[in-house]
Amino acid sequence: MDRPVDGLAQGDARETFAAVGEAALIEGRSEGGAAERTAFPLPKGDGLDKHTRVQLLKEERAIAAKYMSDPRKMRIYTVVTLTCFAMWLAFFPLTMLDVVPLWPCFVLSCIFAAGGYITSHEAMHDNIGRRGTKYRFWNELVGEVSTIILIFPFSMARMMHLHHHYHCNHPENDPDYTDSASGPLAAWVKTWLNRQPGADGSIHHYKRVLQRIGTPAAAKALRDTAYLQLFAMFFMFAMCWTGYAFEAALLWWLPRHIGLSYIRYWLSWAPHHPREGRDRYSNTRVFRTVFGHWLSMGMQYHVVHHLYPGIPNHATKPAYYELKPILQKRGVDCSAL
Amino acid sequence: MGAVVIKKLLIWMPFLFGIGFIAPLTAQLMTAWDVQPPLGLSPIAFGLIFGGLWGLYANIGGRWL
Repeated sequence: MDRPVDGLAQGDARETFAAVGEAALIEGRSEGGAAERTAFPLPKGDGLDKHTRVQLLKEERAIAAKYMSDPRKMRIYTVVTLTCFAMWLAFFPLTMLDVVPLWPCFVLSCIFAAGGYITSHEAMHDNIGRRGTKYRFWNELVGEVSTIILIFPFSMARMMHLHHHYHCNHPENDPDYTDSASGPLAAWVKTWLNRQPGADGSIHHYKRVLQRIGTPAAAKALRDTAYLQLFAMFFMFAMCWTGYAFEAALLWWLPRHIGLSYIRYWLSWAPHHPREGRDRYSNTRVFRTVFGHWLSMGMQYHVVHHLYPGIPNHATKPAYYELKPILQKRGVDCSAL
Repeated sequence: MGAVVIKKLLIWMPFLFGIGFIAPLTAQLMTAWDVQPPLGLSPIAFGLIFGGLWGLYANIGGRWL
């Protein structure tokens, strides 16, 4: 089974792939256990005979099944998201009225901006509530709210992230490929350069990819992006021209830029560098960082996410250590952790 | 019609950002830090010139720096 071609829309993917296949898994539509939720078909040519590969896959799926998201245990994502969003909204009147100082609200806004992508990311894979369940509303709400501070609508974020999974590390078709850089410092600089008005990276690249996809869903994502960008800009203009430029800059504009650079580095560059592998066991890397598990947002174990997107972010670490012997047999370089 | 207006607004967003965001931010920073604008300009007039030109530069050059 080939991966979807770039022009393939979500709807097309559902038709093309079997329910237990790649698109169903990535989009979180498969209701079965991990045994039915593998992300990609096993590649051939890994040096293992068929019996061994099948046996390893069974063991891998059995372990993954233990860590799959349970909507009842994902409520914490909803609570954290809505609390942080409410706090962020409250920062505006509270700082404008000098009830609270601006600097701690700035620091928290940066944390909310970067952290918001994590909760939104769970919603992208329907881990907070699958379609047709009573939890679905919360899944969509978390997704919509989480990335407002990034001025990055959920419709665009979800579509681009699913395409990243479909086409991981493909120079043309992976929407995140523009984050590639030779090293950590270059990666940080690239996150900034990609957001320049004339650059073809970050959200500019996403817009181009959506235009190329050209489906109604892609058109809606483009519309949502334009509306949110205009709303955010004119909200900030209004604040600035009424004497609250510092509040606008330190509660929204700067946290957005810091948050975007942070997530671009940790969620895109770090786990995929050098963006060479294209199959399910080589399209990410296991790495160790002095910044640890929390500051790297769990990305050291990103291999688990690409194998089983239904495993929530907080469970990728224990899942990785249990899967590690199998991953090593499949050729994953686990020497870092 | 609406889509055309939005598209044009987005195309000119760096320039609009210059006068909508950078200009008042510059003026408020100068006031807060007690910096006198040159040529007897008011802080907001200086901010508009500075922000407008910078935004125009970003619009034409495709980069803020």
